[in-house]
Amino acid sequence: MEFISILGEALKGSLESVFTIAKVVIPLMFIMEILKDLKVLDKLSDILRPGTKFLGISKNSSFPLMVGLTLGLAYGAGVIIKSAKEGDLSKKDLYLLMIFLVTCHSVIEDTLIFIAIGANGWLLLGIRIPLAIILTVIVSKHIDKYLKSSKGTL
Amino acid sequence: MNISSPYVIISLVYNEGMKAMGQSTAEEKRENNVTGDENKSFKTTLKNGILSGLKTTWLLTKIIVPVYFFVTLLKYTPVLDWISSLFAPIMKIVGLPGEAAIVLVLGNIINLYAALGAVASLALTGKQITIIAIMLSFSHSLFMETAVAKKTGISATVVIIIRLSLAILSGIVLNLVL
Repeated sequence: MEFISILGEALKGSLESVFTIAKVVIPLMFIMEILKDLKVLDKLSDILRPGTKFLGISKNSSFPLMVGLTLGLAYGAGVIIKSAKEGDLSKKDLYLLMIFLVTCHSVIEDTLIFIAIGANGWLLLGIRIPLAIILTVIVSKHIDKYLKSSKGTL
Repeated sequence: MNISSPYVIISLVYNEGMKAMGQSTAEEKRENNVTGDENKSFKTTLKNGILSGLKTTWLLTKIIVPVYFFVTLLKYTPVLDWISSLFAPIMKIVGLPGEAAIVLVLGNIINLYAALGAVASLALTGKQITIIAIMLSFSHSLFMETAVAKKTGISATVVIIIRLSLAILSGIVLNLVL
């Protein structure tokens, strides 16, 4: 009998958490779809242009940066690979963008779902973004010698 | 636990990412930005938005529910206590109880939703949840995301070392500061 009440507890608790997360994820996915289709990110990526210089990457990097920050790593990486093939991004841009994005991506989704379970969202963003920036700036100061010495692999 | 769930997500996210690749440089987008075009596709956008929301909810249900069941059942066996006392000394460094090791492991090998399922089934304080959130935000879904990152040519080792060190470092600092 006790086993059944444990299962009941698990069923109730798990559905409650699905509901908590779904309340965040469904509207969010909806907004993401609109961002993707209506080319909003294109316009928004201009905001990041001044920031690219600070990170040590070219202005062309602002679009992949925006895509990765909002839509996630897979999209960001997809755009980066395409831009690199078309010659819009240098090897250095590509590596620095990826260093930044592996530590800091889909910030909207990640932050909102953690807020939903009770974390402090401002603290989360206030630590994640600055740390990713500091890391990228440090790497950008030292990356040139590695790119020369090791045939462009990092 | 349904072992295929993480892989379903991997392929889904990855395919979507590759689709995004096929339509994305800034210049291209500006050129194609004809006004009539946008109105025509707005209905499709709404439909896709709803579909994508429902699809994601189904995917996260398939992850959260089994994980929640798994951890809840574990709570009634001695296993959770063993794990707890085994990891307690290490987890203390980042201000978390031993059983939170399960959350960090699930988040790193499966994904954030699996970690959320585990967090929900354990009794943790606000400070502990914030520490877990920050550690996991730096380092999660390591298998899937490292595979994606490798496609751009960056080394998997570099990616994993960076992410784990930031996670541990931020956990230690936050525990001292909060």
